[in-house]
This record gives sequence, C-alpha cells and structure tokens, in this order.
Amino acid sequence: MKFEKTQRTPLVELGSNSCLIKGECYPENIAEWSGPVLEALKKTLGDANAAFNVDIELYYFNSSSAKFLFDFFEFLEESSEEGKKIKINWRYRAEDDTMLEAGEDFQEDITACEFNLVIVEYANEDQAQE
Amino acid sequence: MEKNKDTLGLHTFMQDRKTLFCYSGPLTEDLLTTISNPVRHQLSDDETKETVAKRVFGVFIEQAQNIIRYSTQKTKSTGDSIGTIAISVADDGFMIEAVNKIDESKKDVLEATLVELSVADQKALRQMYKQRLRDGPPEDSEGAGLGFIEMARRVKHFEFNFVESGDGALFVYRGWVS
Repeated sequence: MKFEKTQRTPLVELGSNSCLIKGECYPENIAEWSGPVLEALKKTLGDANAAFNVDIELYYFNSSSAKFLFDFFEFLEESSEEGKKIKINWRYRAEDDTMLEAGEDFQEDITACEFNLVIVEYANEDQAQE
Repeated sequence: MEKNKDTLGLHTFMQDRKTLFCYSGPLTEDLLTTISNPVRHQLSDDETKETVAKRVFGVFIEQAQNIIRYSTQKTKSTGDSIGTIAISVADDGFMIEAVNKIDESKKDVLEATLVELSVADQKALRQMYKQRLRDGPPEDSEGAGLGFIEMARRVKHFEFNFVESGDGALFVYRGWVS
C-alpha cells in the first residue's frame, strides 16, 4: 500500500514486512492525513509474518506532525511489547542537527523496538531532485 | 499623487529593511501551501546554508499556522484569519516576524509562556518540547501546543509584545535565525 508524497506530506510505502516514510510533513490537518496512515500501518503490522522494518527519512516536520510521530512510535512500541520484532531506522542527513536531535528524542522513549540513527549521504543529483 | 507616494514609500520601505517576503491579509492553509515553495526559493541562494534556510522555514510555518489558528481578526465573508508575516535579511541571518490580533483573555497565559521560553536554554527547551509531546496538547490548543517551543528552539533569540488595538490586542513576534 502506498500513500503518494504531496508538497506537504511524505511518501508512505507499506510492504508486507516494511514501512517507509520519506519526505516532509506539515499537512493542513495532521489528523486527517495520519488517520488513514496509522490504520493501514496497524493492518500491515498485524498481518506481518516476519521481522518488521521501519525506515523514516524526514527532512522537515512541523510541530503538529511531531504528535503524529509520537503516536506512531508509541504504537510500534506497544506492538513490540506484544511480541512483534520491529526495527526502526531513523535516517537523517549528516549536517541536519534538527533531525538528529528529533531522532534522539524519540529514541529515548523506545526500549522494546530496535532503534537506529542512520546517517544518509547524498550524491548531488539526488539532492537536486527534491 | 498622495497614493503614488504611498506606493513608492511601501516599495522603498520594504527594500530598505531588506524584506524578502511579506504577506499581510487573510491567510489560509491553501495559501500557505502556495507560498511555501516561493518562500523556500527565496531562502535557497548559494550563500545561505541549508540548515539555516530550514530553520527559517520552520519558524515561518509555525508562525503562519499560528495566525491561521489563533488570529481573532477574520474576513467577513469566509471567516479566514487575518495577519501579517514577513521574512527579512538581518545582520547575520534572517528575521521572521508576525503580527495578528489575539483574544484579550488569552494574553496573560501567552505572555507567561513566552517569558518562560525566552529565558530557557536549548537544553531546557528540548526537555520542554519532549514533555509537551508526552503530555499532549493543552485544552485550548488547536495544534499540539508545541509551536512556540519549536520556534524558540530554532531561533537565536526572539522578542514579543502586545499592543492595544480597540477590540483586542495585537500580538507582535520577531525571531532571529542565523
């Protein structure tokens, strides 16, 4: 299942054992956007039959979206406590202190899932496309 | 002739204070979507570091959404929120400013919050942000109640004041990013 990226919302791609969130997140109404995303994630994770990988690569999110991320991680933590094996990769650009700090802050509350802070290096062409 | 002078005055005023972007009037989420890219474009010249541009943009978005959510001055026909928001070049970076009318009864709480944020260091702000996320939004917040903390984390420093204006108070916010 796929939620296409828009100017103000990231790409969300759900595979049978994976979830990718990539882009920027500052929608008009975070609840309107995140409701269906969380629903789909719950379904996917419920059906998952192997270790579940979550990759998050955000360049910017506003303060309203922070609450969505908080709820998102809380759900993953609960699922992990119930027995799901979940690995989260928080991907950030080397110079992006803001996203590194955000990742560190979320990491602090996560104990059941595996949570990794991963530096992303970009070739120039990749950056130009965004 | 007088009006011509005003127009020229507006141009000269904006140029002299190095304002890159200014909007004053009804602000909606649709309009914010439309102006986001041009604003970002303005910030993305070769001399500006990407991290600085991102901080400016972050403060700009929070301020714009504050106007949309909390300005008590509305258009008659559609009820859209009215306010002013601008980005200017400042000594060693950028200044982001916003003005909107607020509910007089909310003034004291807002003032207390901002005074607390203005004296907090980065470490304390980070802690306050985390705590607010865990606690959830305060009752009268339409967002996550995190906006002003987020802005305080991104600026080098900020100033604010309230100006009496007939049927309410005008809230004035200036933040510097470098």
